[in-house]
Amino acid sequence: MLIGIDIGGTFTDGVVISGQEVIKAVKVRTDEEISFSIEEALKQILTDLDPQKVEQVTLSTTLITNLITQERLPQTGMLLLPGPGANPEQLNFAGPYRVLRGAVDYRGRVIESVDLNEVKEACTYFLEKNIHHLVVACKFSQRNSSLEKQIVEYIQKYYPQVKVLASYEVSGLLNWVRRANGAFYTLATREASHVFQKYINNTLTKLGLDCPVYMLKADGGTLPINVALRYPLETIFSGPAASALGSLACLDEKATAVVVDIGGTTTDLALLLRGKPLLAERGASINNYPLPVRSLAVASLELGGDTSITIEEGKICFTKRQGPALCVGGPTLTVTDILVYSGYSTIASRDLIKEQVEAIAAELQLTPEQFSEQVLELFVEQLEAKLEAMFHAWEEEPAYRIWQVLAAKKQRPQTLLCLGGPSGGIGKYWAEKKKWQVIIPQHYAVANAIGAALAKPTLKVDFFADTERKTYSTNIGGLQGTLLQPLKHVEEAKKFFLMVFKATAKEWNLAKDMPIETLYEEGFNIVRDWQTKGRIFQIGLQTVPGIRTFIKEERSDG
Amino acid sequence: MGKTGLVFFPAFDWAISPTHPEREERLLYTRDQIFEEGILDNSNIVEYTPRLAEEKDIQRVHFCVPNVETQTTSAHFISAGSALKLGDALMAGEIKNGFSLVRPPGHHAMRVVHGNRGFCNINNEAILVEYLRKKYNIRKIAIVDTDVHHGDGTQDIFYHDPDVLFISLHQDGRTLYPGTGFVEEAGGPGAYLSNINIPLPPRTTDEGFLKVWRKIVRPLLKKFAPELVINSAGQDNHFTDPLANMLVSSQGYAKITEELKPDLAVLEGGYAIETALPYVNLGILLALAGQDYSKVVEPYYRREELKQTADTTNYIDRLINYWQNMFSANPPDKEQLFSGKMLYNRSRNIYYDTDNIREQQQEFVYYCPDCPGIYQVISESDKTFSRSCGIKGISIPIYACSKCEEFGYELWQKETKEKVYDYYYLQDKKNDQYLMEQAGK
Repeated sequence: MLIGIDIGGTFTDGVVISGQEVIKAVKVRTDEEISFSIEEALKQILTDLDPQKVEQVTLSTTLITNLITQERLPQTGMLLLPGPGANPEQLNFAGPYRVLRGAVDYRGRVIESVDLNEVKEACTYFLEKNIHHLVVACKFSQRNSSLEKQIVEYIQKYYPQVKVLASYEVSGLLNWVRRANGAFYTLATREASHVFQKYINNTLTKLGLDCPVYMLKADGGTLPINVALRYPLETIFSGPAASALGSLACLDEKATAVVVDIGGTTTDLALLLRGKPLLAERGASINNYPLPVRSLAVASLELGGDTSITIEEGKICFTKRQGPALCVGGPTLTVTDILVYSGYSTIASRDLIKEQVEAIAAELQLTPEQFSEQVLELFVEQLEAKLEAMFHAWEEEPAYRIWQVLAAKKQRPQTLLCLGGPSGGIGKYWAEKKKWQVIIPQHYAVANAIGAALAKPTLKVDFFADTERKTYSTNIGGLQGTLLQPLKHVEEAKKFFLMVFKATAKEWNLAKDMPIETLYEEGFNIVRDWQTKGRIFQIGLQTVPGIRTFIKEERSDG
Repeated sequence: MGKTGLVFFPAFDWAISPTHPEREERLLYTRDQIFEEGILDNSNIVEYTPRLAEEKDIQRVHFCVPNVETQTTSAHFISAGSALKLGDALMAGEIKNGFSLVRPPGHHAMRVVHGNRGFCNINNEAILVEYLRKKYNIRKIAIVDTDVHHGDGTQDIFYHDPDVLFISLHQDGRTLYPGTGFVEEAGGPGAYLSNINIPLPPRTTDEGFLKVWRKIVRPLLKKFAPELVINSAGQDNHFTDPLANMLVSSQGYAKITEELKPDLAVLEGGYAIETALPYVNLGILLALAGQDYSKVVEPYYRREELKQTADTTNYIDRLINYWQNMFSANPPDKEQLFSGKMLYNRSRNIYYDTDNIREQQQEFVYYCPDCPGIYQVISESDKTFSRSCGIKGISIPIYACSKCEEFGYELWQKETKEKVYDYYYLQDKKNDQYLMEQAGK
């Protein structure tokens, strides 16, 4: 049996899956302290369940996301080593920074050394501002981490009170701004992650659960909870990943669809393409700061069932949620009320809001039917505009190789998969007006928890080797080293990297027989003066992503 | 503030040959530098996916012998298509300018294509110009070529076109491939002074490079008042380039880009793939995006070693003087240049270094008082140890008058009956029609 728990803004959902069936689903109110909600959900799940039969628990939490968006973090400073290139002032760094001397180039060669006096000066500067958390980020540190290491060692030696983290340990992504921001938030959320893990471990012991626990990642894979401690950022934005996987579980492995998750205040859109959620081209951002985190390409709109309807200068406008819908005792007329009025929703009686709808329609010199139609049309129009932008971004994904450009034309999905309370009504309207195929899964209310339960552990590693310099590096934080073998051709390089990959997989508690796929493999000749001096290899490996199983269900397709 | 469009197409799976300068590795370090900078996350730079050009886009410019398919690979279609993609984005108002950071390059590809010359098969900028003119009814376009080699292909294609101003800054042809690009090559009789060559002495630095830009190119552009400016952004004037002898730095390239403000820049040559390209490409991209590029300084940059000698400065001053005098004088008109004759003709030998082909060519331009006139070319090529191939091409200009348009088709009817050459081509740019006939078939 698999347990999935998804922490949402209002509710925390839990499901138990056995075989291809959801055998239990619970819903508890989300507490301000997330760990309490997890404990409560687990308790309810285990009332009539043998804890020994649980194979694993997967958590999709908003812990880290909330810490960051609510800025409940210790103050953290950045020491930046940009070397030649763009002006750091025009880049998007998440914290206050000092620019230092010292530079590495794209091949990992040190082209300027560090000046420790500058490091000292920067530390004094931050300590005077009462900042005791520092990250060090050097351009191309993933190709050569020696400068970052040198600074970290210096700080540890002379400023033991300072908590310091180097960017290379967090990520090897080819984007130093993202690496720096990644290190920044990793360091800043580390303590909270520790506290959380400790609490969860205690809870599990208390409840008699001794199975492995995983955290859902933004890219729809999972991470063992102890590894998540090192990479807490990977667990941000797991909600949309959970809903996309949960949707997929109700479809089939080749499903291509738009997942529309309509809540009270916001709507999230995601794409499933031939059974795989579309990932954001460059990765996630938080508070507008780019991060080295793979995540789903999700478009969010400030639009939901509780969005209130106002009239400004004779035009229908949407404004922020003022409270629940009028028909359930809220203060203003909302989208949900219109759904009820036009018969797309039956959550309340139409008579409760008839008068208000008719009054506003009259104000606009429209029939109530015309008015309702216009409201829903406007709603769907805004969703479609966002969807169009999302399709466009997908179609405009860069391609760096001929085969990618020549690859088959991208087919836009024709299916909408609707999740969330108001989505049934909107979905029906959408299907009627725009000829989409609309699917509302049987377990639409707990789809996120299902997605969490069924997610598979994933590991994706990008390898880079330079045989002239005899070095290799990866995108997994800190993993770089010296090549002892010459690595003459791609096959040899791949064999070597597979070994490294499996070592990491072991560290991540992944099953030994987990299938591994090659994403890309290429070798470049390093030619100088018409002589081949070495080779550069780029190889991408990952465990095959997806879900553990599909859910059997009875449903009515719209 | 407007956005800068970028198509980055390094063609990691395409090379002329494994150790050729035009190989997979060429933009690898540029990729590393630009990605590592994190600037692609800035909202004022938008990355576009490349696309394929269509066969017609190539026929609008070239007579490919025997056909487009033979002379191109997918990489060429993508490289040309990437520029078109940015052209469309520019015209749609999505971007304020764009950089097609692509390979393979194209500025040595002439109107007639028998093979690869100077690493080029088809001319990306010319394809872009003709596409934009056809699709968006733009008339006047300027191309400024800042590659170290003379942009002889682009010069050839627009040599008789008064609506395209081609300006090439390059290392003097007496010291470098392709051995052309002298001041006397100033355009055909119907397009005189729409082709400007600025052959710079070896070891010209940022100072000289920027001086000719400010004293010659900028005033010329102002006078011509183009609707669009395209930059053939070769990067081999760089002080570390292995195939040339100039001393320009990434700062010099970024500065000229900032001042030139090209609507679209298209990468051309540049083979110092480690020491120059990562920095020059970054400098150009930042300059286009209006961002600070002052910190883009090569680690090997030593200001004192990159000083221009007094001799070089004097030579450049004389060159500036030459062009300033040319433009202050009253240039002869079209009638004087045709000197009363109805037909202009020019014979040349053209060498294809990459493919070892020698081409013999004769060009004809028919005088027309109302339009650039019908262009005709007879070309024969011989490859070492293989049979020669002869072609005849007729081109009707995009803004041809109706008489010339009719005359073009009359010529086509007459010529194709004679069956003297292996292939006949009709390039009707006005109606976007392209015909080919093989003799004896």
